[in-house]
Amino acid sequence: MTASTDWATVRPPGTDPARGGRWWPWIGRLALPVVLALVLLALWLYVGSQELDSIEARSLTAETIGETAARHVALTAVSTVLVVALAVPLGILLTRPFTRRYRGLLLTVANIGQAVPTIGLLALLAVAFFFLGFWAAVVGLVAYAVLPVLRNTMVGLEGVDPAVLEAGKGMGLSGRQVLRRLELPLAVPVILAGIRTALVINVGTATLAAYINGGGLGTLIVAGFSTNRFLVSLTGAVLTAVLALLVDHLAGIAEDVLKPKGL
Amino acid sequence: MQPERNDDLDFVDFAWQRRDDVLQLGIEHAALVALSVTISAALGVLLGVLSYRSPTARSAVIAVTGAFLTIPSFALFVLLLGIVGLGTAPVVIALTMYGLLPVVRNTITGLLQVDPAIVESALGMGLSRRQRLLRIELPLAWPVVLTGIRVSTVVLVGIAAIGAIVNGPGYGELIFTGLARVGSPVAVNLVLAGTLGVVVVAVVFDAAFTLLGKLTTSKGLR
Repeated sequence: MTASTDWATVRPPGTDPARGGRWWPWIGRLALPVVLALVLLALWLYVGSQELDSIEARSLTAETIGETAARHVALTAVSTVLVVALAVPLGILLTRPFTRRYRGLLLTVANIGQAVPTIGLLALLAVAFFFLGFWAAVVGLVAYAVLPVLRNTMVGLEGVDPAVLEAGKGMGLSGRQVLRRLELPLAVPVILAGIRTALVINVGTATLAAYINGGGLGTLIVAGFSTNRFLVSLTGAVLTAVLALLVDHLAGIAEDVLKPKGL
Repeated sequence: MQPERNDDLDFVDFAWQRRDDVLQLGIEHAALVALSVTISAALGVLLGVLSYRSPTARSAVIAVTGAFLTIPSFALFVLLLGIVGLGTAPVVIALTMYGLLPVVRNTITGLLQVDPAIVESALGMGLSRRQRLLRIELPLAWPVVLTGIRVSTVVLVGIAAIGAIVNGPGYGELIFTGLARVGSPVAVNLVLAGTLGVVVVAVVFDAAFTLLGKLTTSKGLR
């Protein structure tokens, strides 16, 4: 996920789960949601079968769970949108000839930055700058998820066959038109893969937002720890895992659907 | 300017005062990651070798190990806590699960990239399936495999910090202790020490991998 090389971003040939065979796409697309629904059902039955004390009962109302889940989705969505808005234009800028000299330096800084642990960055925002809450969490999330999108935008744009660009220029397209009509559409699959990675990172990191009052499903886990109610933590953990797998799954389907046809 | 400089000094003083502690946590952190990444690498290469010849098998292996990586670490630690209890065990299991995908993926990519003509000539020389794999295919794929292990390591160094929530070893302890003391002057130093510690461990591992790459890559490939 935090690779400094292309190996981490490029799938080996023939391993795209959605392309394994004729039956794979449909069984694959339906199997995971069914499994996740069963997991949720099992969790619901398990929690329902337990004798809840007042603390547990208060933490596990449908209202609390719905609120934290909605907040988790909001954290993920807002930060992913910001990441795309920042990283794609930056990636385009950094593949233009006039920025070549800054490229290496920026990627080196970004790669070292990636070694900073997520929880460390969030904690620093809180303890050093007293920056807590939803937007502090968004800042932390964006800082983490920028790199995969930036890297994939650059890899995607640089991977476009120069002969295609040459042909575009030969047809009389301006530099801007070549970018919009040829380079970007051809780079879209790689950029989408980066956005999916960013989305998954954000769902995961949003769990830690609980530590800086950012809300989200992590709140349940933390609440369970601080009140010594494992059942509450367990519920939070299962819901987080289910949400993350579902988001990744939907992103995978979106990736297939949004890919320009004919590539 | 002035208060900033004082803060810097404070941090240096703080780190120096607690150097034994900081060093101890660093060794714990590095050992935890080294153990997990070793298990991950062994399992990952094995899974890659077993699955790379069949498109269905490699799709399945990559889908499952990819799903592991999708589960947020905070959640996975808690789920494992329910099964194996507090301490190092849940952290090692979680880190091993997280480390699999990059290794498996790169093993498959590396093995598929080996020129079929070379495998063909090995077959012509009378090498058995096992000999071809161990003497020809794996050595040729090794630089790519090693890159995968390196990627895993960098990811695991960061995730290991979160292991402190289930009483795992390493720098996470400093970060979480600091977080619990928001507002007190020592909080910043604790969090900073933990965070920088993790970065240092990552840099050391990265340097080790550069060296390992030079030492273990077959001479003909350098």
